[in-house]
Amino acid sequence: MITMKRSSIALLTSLSALSISSTLAQEDQFSTVITPAFSPITWERLVDARNEPENWLMYSGTLDSQRYSLLDQINVDNVDQLEMKWAYQIPVIDRAETVPLVVDGIMFITEAPSNVVAVDARTGREYWRYDHEMPDDLRICCGRNNRGVAILGETLFMSTLDAHLVAIDARTGNLLWDTEVARHDAGYSKTAAPLIVKDKVVTGIAGAEFGIRGFIDAYDPETGERVWRTYTIPGPGEFGNDTWSDDSWRTGGASTWITGSYDAELNQIYWGTGNPGPDWNGDVRLGDNLYSDSVLALDGDTGAIEWHFQFTPHDVHDYDAIQVPILADLEINGEQVPAMMWANRNGFYYTLNRATGQFLFGKPFASVTWAEGLDPVTGRPIRVAGMAPTYEGIMVSPPIVGATNWYSPAYSQDTELFYVTSFDGEQEFFKRDEDYEEGERFTGGGGRYTQPMDAFHSSIRAINPKTADIEWEFPIMPRSSAGITTTAGGLVLTGSADGYFFALDAESGRELWNISLGARVHAAPMTFAIDGEQFVTVASGNVVYTFGLRD
Amino acid sequence: MRRTHPLRSPGRRLIRSLTAVAATAGLLAAGLATLPQVAAEDAGNLYNTDVDIRMGQRYFERQCSRCHGFDAKGNDEVGAPDLTGSLRNASTDASIFNVIREGVSGTAMLPVAADVPDPTVWQLVAFINSLRYDPNSVTLEGDADSGLALFNGRAECNSCHMVDGRGGRLGPDLSRIGEDNTPEDLMLAMTNPHEQVAPRWWTLRVTGSDGIEREGFRMGEDSFGVRIMDVDENLWSFRKSEIESYERIEDSTMPSYEGRLSDDELDDLVAYLFSLRREVQPQ
Repeated sequence: MITMKRSSIALLTSLSALSISSTLAQEDQFSTVITPAFSPITWERLVDARNEPENWLMYSGTLDSQRYSLLDQINVDNVDQLEMKWAYQIPVIDRAETVPLVVDGIMFITEAPSNVVAVDARTGREYWRYDHEMPDDLRICCGRNNRGVAILGETLFMSTLDAHLVAIDARTGNLLWDTEVARHDAGYSKTAAPLIVKDKVVTGIAGAEFGIRGFIDAYDPETGERVWRTYTIPGPGEFGNDTWSDDSWRTGGASTWITGSYDAELNQIYWGTGNPGPDWNGDVRLGDNLYSDSVLALDGDTGAIEWHFQFTPHDVHDYDAIQVPILADLEINGEQVPAMMWANRNGFYYTLNRATGQFLFGKPFASVTWAEGLDPVTGRPIRVAGMAPTYEGIMVSPPIVGATNWYSPAYSQDTELFYVTSFDGEQEFFKRDEDYEEGERFTGGGGRYTQPMDAFHSSIRAINPKTADIEWEFPIMPRSSAGITTTAGGLVLTGSADGYFFALDAESGRELWNISLGARVHAAPMTFAIDGEQFVTVASGNVVYTFGLRD
Repeated sequence: MRRTHPLRSPGRRLIRSLTAVAATAGLLAAGLATLPQVAAEDAGNLYNTDVDIRMGQRYFERQCSRCHGFDAKGNDEVGAPDLTGSLRNASTDASIFNVIREGVSGTAMLPVAADVPDPTVWQLVAFINSLRYDPNSVTLEGDADSGLALFNGRAECNSCHMVDGRGGRLGPDLSRIGEDNTPEDLMLAMTNPHEQVAPRWWTLRVTGSDGIEREGFRMGEDSFGVRIMDVDENLWSFRKSEIESYERIEDSTMPSYEGRLSDDELDDLVAYLFSLRREVQPQ
């Protein structure tokens, strides 16, 4: 059912006629000795990525970030026939957050701390690896993470923990250029896959636990030179700078550590922003703290801010709006709406108009105690008094880890439902007084659980984006930090913190298949095909597993 | 700072402690070779006043709590160990210093920034040490030998609990219960066992598709399965998709001993339980 025209063309154009005829004459098992030979990834291919579902060309699959694949060979009727085809063990022990890309049968996997390996997607055997040289004085908040690469032409682009952006030759792993995006010793780091927008590499920054000033950058893919930078905290004289008391804007965080989305028709880039800093002590940064905890719409050419929507003004609970924006055109009340779907770490689900940034509606999708609802017109949260962190500690829901977090949600074009990992937890929040020192943590407090994790409820929830109602939920425990992928085979594919990878019926939430992989699934699955055969890949613990149907 | 936490899951503790012994030996050997000037020998921490401890706590809350927790109780999700009990990778001031200074290779425990001065690290060591206390400094009312006799005799604790490989299976192994529990914790665990029950000792009542109900300790409960040990000590594993229903009871199966034993007897048992420690010997 899947044609492989494109990779056949790739072979023809990149190998001599002689080598092709001899290769084709050989047994299948020898086909994997071919040198990486994919056709270059043009911008047009990225825009149309959904229509070459045999490849997974960017972090969220497509520019609208739906994580919805048209592959349907693996489907609700046969998903229980999945078996493991291969496993790739990452040599540096940490926990993998990678979403691999697959380009014409070659898979690119990122690893801790900031390495990338190219493997044969059919066997998991290595072609090449790139090990990024790293200084020994990293400032990283939450683990040595890397979530994936971007590809344009024949070049991969990767964020590194020392706050560099590197370009790597996709055929050899050779370093093409290495650009310092920001100073790692001042608290900046990079973990997210970049996003290609036309002829630029768009990328964010992490470090809001170190008093950085966040931004979104665009780089020239050929040279690594910066084309534009848009700060996520306005400077003096700019709109919104007065939402920060005194000089607090300088150290206000608002990092951009997850990959955004792009609408080619509107020519808008959408990107979420992280918490204001210090996280839990808002006394030193009075005001709404724009554009922390927001989604920004940027001009696709200049990076200029076209609109913003702030989910959590003056956040004191670390409710980063670091979620992948999902874009779809929805018919709401008889009208066609260019929508953006967003389940936020703060516990509320939102449907926005992505052309204008207008709030349409929203409601809690998980346990929330810090706000009693959203203003029906503006979408601004209606706060419950007395829920800010204190020196003694105060119980608030969601906990710091959030009702959801950076874990990719997904949307299915078949069910028209939005799927998200959700956590009904609570935690005691503490406030502390801290002075900013460059390169030091600047968080102003913290939190602690007073119950075991197993006491909380957690689930995969299917939300109707036209109403914000929860259509079904599938309970998991203790919780999940996995992303979700949907397919035209009617599947919701995801994992859980207790090490399961599983498939649900996208329509009903019915359990279809599961396998215990033995360690936390801390990444999103992806799917691809080679020679008409569909596979599903997911990272669990330090291992990348690939599954396919039984032969 | 320290919270009472009676009868934490000893199964997990035991595994952790065994690795601690092995890892400590290895780390000390590795650590001593590259020891910085200050910690060449364990001459004691010069930064150990109350002020140092407070400074260490401030530093800890700021720099370390993200992973180890604001209460230093650790975070299983990120693999950050509890620092209020016996330490996995260090047993002496010098080795704690080295872990902070150099990190733990192959884990998410990175070295502290190079420009953080040694005195700050020593203050951190002082704070971490302040989370524990010297058990030998504690004077107890009860008599441990009498407690032992009660434990295996009239109180019948050993019908459910093991110590050093002898005893029952229907409660936590108490071989090292004195390490992470204060005498107050131990008394509370006997007089009010429902106060805080580790999830391992919750009860699951499972109704199979055959309609038969089986009840037992919660050995495991996850997204797709449950595993129990019933009162006859049989181990059962169920797929959630193949059972009728199940119920979770978060109470302890242990009765309260308040009133069953005299105050003196309870004191004797506390003295015995508190003596159940296996300290890691510094090299």
